[in-house]
Amino acid sequence: MRKGSLFGVCVLVVIMAFSLTGRAQAETIKIGINAELTGDIPKVGEGTKFAAQMWLEDVKAAGGITVGKKKYPVELVLEDNESKAESAVKVATKMITEDGVLVMVGPQASKQAVPAGGIANNYKTPMITAWSTNPDTTKDRPYVFRACFLDPFQGPVLANFITSEFKFTKAAVLYDVASDYPKGLAEFFKQAWEKLHGKGSVVAYESFTTKDTDFSSQLTKIINSGAQVLFTPQYYNEVALIVQQAHQLGWKKPIVGSDSWGSAELVNLCGKDCYGDFFSTHYAAAGAKGATKAFIDRYKAKYGYVPDDVAALTWDSMNLAQTAIQNTGGLTGDLKKDREKVRTAMSQIKKFNGITGEMTFSGSGDPSKCAVIVKISDKGEFAFYKSVCP
Amino acid sequence: MVIFLQNLVNALQWGSFYALIALGYSMVYSILMLFNFAHGDIFMVGAYIGFGVSIGLLALSSSGALAMPNWLILVLTILFSMFLTSFVGMIVERVGYRPLRNAPRASAAITGLMIGIILETGNLILMGARRVSFPSLIQTTTYTVGGVFVTNKKIMIVLVSLLLTLALHQFIRRTKWGMAMRAMAFDFAVVPLMGVPVNTVIALTFAIGSALAAAAGILFGIAYPVLDPYMGILFGWKAFVAAILGGRGSILGATLAGFLLGFTEIFVAMIFPSTLRDLIAYSIILLILTFRPHGFFGEPYSARLRL
Amino acid sequence: MASTTTFRTFRAGWSRVPLIGWFFGALLAVTLERLVGNPLALAVGLPKIPALFGLDIMLKKPLLIPNAVLYVLLIYGLPMGIATRASIAPANRLATGLFRLPIVVTTVVYIGFLYAILHVWAEVNDYRALVLKLTLIAIMFTLSLNVINGYMGEFSCSHPGFMALGAYCASVFSLGLFVDNRFFGTALLPPALGPFLFPVALVLGGILAAAGALIVAVPSFRTRGDYLAIISLAFLFIVKSLIENLEYVRGPRGLSGQPDLASLPTVFLWTVACIWSINNFVRSTIGKALNAVRDNEMAASAMTVNTRRTKMVAFLFSAFWAGIAGGLFAHVLRYVNPGTFGIQTLAEVLAMVYFGGLNSVYGSIVGAVSISLLGEALRPLEIFKWIIIPLLLILVMIYRPTGLIAFKDVDVTALFRPKTGPGDEV
Repeated sequence: MRKGSLFGVCVLVVIMAFSLTGRAQAETIKIGINAELTGDIPKVGEGTKFAAQMWLEDVKAAGGITVGKKKYPVELVLEDNESKAESAVKVATKMITEDGVLVMVGPQASKQAVPAGGIANNYKTPMITAWSTNPDTTKDRPYVFRACFLDPFQGPVLANFITSEFKFTKAAVLYDVASDYPKGLAEFFKQAWEKLHGKGSVVAYESFTTKDTDFSSQLTKIINSGAQVLFTPQYYNEVALIVQQAHQLGWKKPIVGSDSWGSAELVNLCGKDCYGDFFSTHYAAAGAKGATKAFIDRYKAKYGYVPDDVAALTWDSMNLAQTAIQNTGGLTGDLKKDREKVRTAMSQIKKFNGITGEMTFSGSGDPSKCAVIVKISDKGEFAFYKSVCP
Repeated sequence: MVIFLQNLVNALQWGSFYALIALGYSMVYSILMLFNFAHGDIFMVGAYIGFGVSIGLLALSSSGALAMPNWLILVLTILFSMFLTSFVGMIVERVGYRPLRNAPRASAAITGLMIGIILETGNLILMGARRVSFPSLIQTTTYTVGGVFVTNKKIMIVLVSLLLTLALHQFIRRTKWGMAMRAMAFDFAVVPLMGVPVNTVIALTFAIGSALAAAAGILFGIAYPVLDPYMGILFGWKAFVAAILGGRGSILGATLAGFLLGFTEIFVAMIFPSTLRDLIAYSIILLILTFRPHGFFGEPYSARLRL
Repeated sequence: MASTTTFRTFRAGWSRVPLIGWFFGALLAVTLERLVGNPLALAVGLPKIPALFGLDIMLKKPLLIPNAVLYVLLIYGLPMGIATRASIAPANRLATGLFRLPIVVTTVVYIGFLYAILHVWAEVNDYRALVLKLTLIAIMFTLSLNVINGYMGEFSCSHPGFMALGAYCASVFSLGLFVDNRFFGTALLPPALGPFLFPVALVLGGILAAAGALIVAVPSFRTRGDYLAIISLAFLFIVKSLIENLEYVRGPRGLSGQPDLASLPTVFLWTVACIWSINNFVRSTIGKALNAVRDNEMAASAMTVNTRRTKMVAFLFSAFWAGIAGGLFAHVLRYVNPGTFGIQTLAEVLAMVYFGGLNSVYGSIVGAVSISLLGEALRPLEIFKWIIIPLLLILVMIYRPTGLIAFKDVDVTALFRPKTGPGDEV
C-alpha cells in the first residue's frame, strides 16, 4: 500500500512538472500596497486601496506601463498591515524579499511608515508614503519618499494665515497628545505663532487622548483663557465633536484646522457647526478643476463618496511611481538595479503635476508643494480661499 | 468659580456614561464573578441599533405615514433599542458564557473579549469604514446660568441616567427577580437548590445590563454624534475599572464609581496640564485602591475563584 | 476498523523515534529545502519556495493549494518521515550516549541542534527570519503572562506596559550609547561594543519593568480579589500616558533607528533562557507554592506558604521577562512607540495565553506560534481575519476551556530520554 501511494506521488510530480514548465515568465512590474485595511483606521486603508485599484484600471486599459520601448504589465501586491508597527514591518519585508516589488506605496500612518521605511531603506527599495508627515519617515533614508507636505511647513502657513487674515494675537491649541501627527503639527504651530506674537501668545495649549469624545474640560479652559482663535489639527471625526462642543460651551470665535480636516465626511458629521471655518489642505474639492475634478468625480461615481485626502495622495503616489519608472528609460530585469534606477529617477522628479498640487523633489524624499487654505462655505462645500507656496 | 461650576456640569454628563455602562458590568460581575469584556461592544451595538431605529422612525415620521414629534421619537428610540439590545446581551451570554460556566472564569472573560472583537468587525463589515452621524433628535438649546453654559441635552442625559439607575435599584431591592439576583450574588451554589431558575435569572441579568448599555449608547449618540465601530473599547475598559472600583454586588457603588471616574478625568484636566490627564487620573485611582482595597460599598470578601 | 489499525501500525513505526531523531529529520528537510527548494518549487508550479509552509499563499491564490501541499509533503514530509524511521537505531544509540553525559552538555547539544534547524530554515529568506524572530518574542511574552494568568490564577492587564518599559529602557540605552543621533547626541561608546553590551540593555529593561511591577504589586496583593485586574489596567494607562508625555523619548512619535543588534541567534538564545528560567521557576518550590496560592490561598497560607511574598516574586519575575521581550521587540523592529503597547496588544497576548493553554509552558509556545502563524496566513482575508481568529478561539474555549495544552511543563529528562523498547538494552 505504501508503495502505491509513493508511486502516486511520483506520477503527480511528473504531471505537475510537465504541465507547468510551459508557463511564460512574463516580466511584470509589481507594486506593493502596504495599507491599513484593518485596525484603528480602516478608512485610510480603504481610500488607499480604492485609489490604487483605480490607478491599476487605468494602467490596464493602457495595456501596462511603457518603459523605454517596452510595455510591462503591472501587478498590485496588496497587503494589510493591521495598523500595527510590527505588521507593517512584516508586510514590507514580505513584499520586498518575497514578492519582489519594484516600488512600495504606503504605509500611510507614521507609526507604520517609520519602521517600514527603515526596512525599505535597508533593502534599497523605493517606498512612497502618501500620508505620513513625521519627519523621521524620510530622514536619512534616500529610498523613502512622501507625497504630502510636512508639518514644519504647514504649521507656519496656518500661523501666518490667521495673523494676516484676522489680525489676532492670542491663539489656543487643542490636540491629541497620543497621536504623532496632531502633536507634531500643534508644536510647529505653537513655535510659529510665538515667533510672530511673542512668548505666551498661545494662551491655552490643551490636549486629550486618542478616542476621547468629551473635550468639555479642555474647551472650558480654552474659552476662559481669552483666546481669539482655536487651532485644532485633528482628524475630521474628532473635529465634528470639538466644534460642536465648543459652540455648546459658548465659543463663538473662529476655529482653524489642518489637512486632516479634509474629508467629505466632515460636513456630514459636523453639520452647520463647521460652516465658515478655515483649514489648510492639499486641494479644494469644491473648486477643483481638470485632473483633480476628474479624479473626484470618478471616485465618487465608483465608490459612492467624495475621496478623502489620503485617496488623492495615494493616487498621486501611484502616478509618481509610474513617472519614476518611466523616467528610468528602460528596465534591466534585475530587480536590484531597477530599484536603484527608480530611486534615482524619483529623486529627480521636477514639477510633477499631481492632483494635490505640483511637486518637486530636490534630492531629499520630501516634495516641495503648495498648501491651499479652504473655507467651509455655507453650503458645506470646501471652497478655495488662498494658496500658499513655500 | 465659574470654571469650576462649568466643569461640574461637564463631569456630570461624562460620569453618567461611565455609570450606566459600569452598572451592566457590575451586575454580571456580582452574580457570576465574571468580567464581561464584551460589554463595551454591546454599548457600541446599542448605539448603532439606536441609530438605525431613529433613522427608521424619522423616515416614517417625515413620510407622513405616522407623524410624530421628535421627543416621542426619542423616547421610542430609547425603548426600542433597549429592548433589541437586551437580546444581543442574551445571545452573547448564551453563546459565549453559558457553555463556560464551570470553566475557569478567565476563559469566559476571553470568550467575551473575542465576542467583542467579532461585534466590532461585524459592524465594520456591515456599515463600512465610514463613521455615522447620529441624528439630532432634539434641538440643542443652550442656557446660561451665571456664566455657566448648560444645554438641554446635558440636563436630559444626566436625568435619564439617574432615573435608570434608580429604577434598577428599585428593581433589585423590591422585586422577586431582583431578590434572586441578590441571592445568587451571595451564594451561587445554594440558590439553584431553592428552586430559582438560574439560567433565566442570568439571562435576565445580561438583558438588563445590555439594555442599560443601549440607553447609554443612545445618550452618547445624542451628546457626541459620531459613531464608529471601535467606540466601545476604551469606554468598556474604563467602565470595567469603575465597576470593580464600586465593589462587588453594589449598584450604588458602581454608579458612584462611574461618576467618580468621570469627575477625576474632567477635574484633573482642569487643574493640571491636560496632557497629563490619564497619568494623573489613573494614579489617583491606583491610590484609592491602595487605601480602600475593597472598593466603596462592596463587602470585604475572599473571592472563591472557580479555577 | 481496518484503516484505523493500519494507521496505528503506520504511526507505531515512529513511536520509538527519540527527539534527536526528529531533529535529524528536520535538519535534513531544511537542508534539502535550502539546496533544492527553488527548483522543486518551480517544478510543482509554485513561483518560489513558499515562505511559511505555503500558509502565506494559500488564501491569496487558492488554486495553488494542492501545489503547496505537495511541496510541503515532498520537502518536509517525505524526507523527515523516511529519515526518522530509518535512523531509529542509530538515533537511539546517540540519544543514549548523550543521555549519559552531564545534563548541561546534553541540553547544549540539543539546543544547538534546534538552532541549526531554525537557522537553516530562516536563511531561505528574510521574511521567514523576521516572522521567526517576532514569533520567538511572542513566545517569551506569552510565557511571562502565563506565569500570572495561568500559574498564579490572577488576571493581569499590565503586561504590555511592562513590555513598553523594557522596550524604551533598552532603546534609550542602545541609542544613547552606540548611535549618533539627534535625540541623545553622539555615541558614547564605539558601536563595536554593541553586541557585548546589548544583554546589559535588555536586563536593564527587564529590571525597569520589574520595578514598574512593584507599583502594581504592592497595592494589588494586599487582599485577594480582582483588584489586580483593574490596578494593572490603570497601570497600563499610566505607562502609556507617561511615555507620551516624556519629550526625552520623543512622546508619541516614538524612537527609531535602534542598532541592528537583535539577530536571530540573540533572540533565540534569549528565548531559550526565558523558557528555561520560567520552566524552572514554575517547577520549583515557589512555583508549586504559586499553584497552591491559586487553588486555595487560605490553605496555602496554613501550609506555611508566605502568600504575599510568593505572589510578589512571581509578579516581578514575570514582568522582568516581559521587559526583556519588549527590549528585543524594539530592536527587531528598530522602532518603538507608545501606541504599540495598548489594549490591542493586550487582547492579542491574552488570546495567545488562553489559546495555547493555561498553566503550561508547552501551551504558551503552542499558543504563540499558532496565533502568529495564523495571523500571517489569514492576512489576505483582510477584515474577515478578525472574525475567524476570534471564532476559533471561542470554539477552543468552549471545547477545551483551559486551552489546547494546559497544565504541562517541560520535563527535560523525559524529553531527552532515548525511546527504546522494553526488551532493548540501554
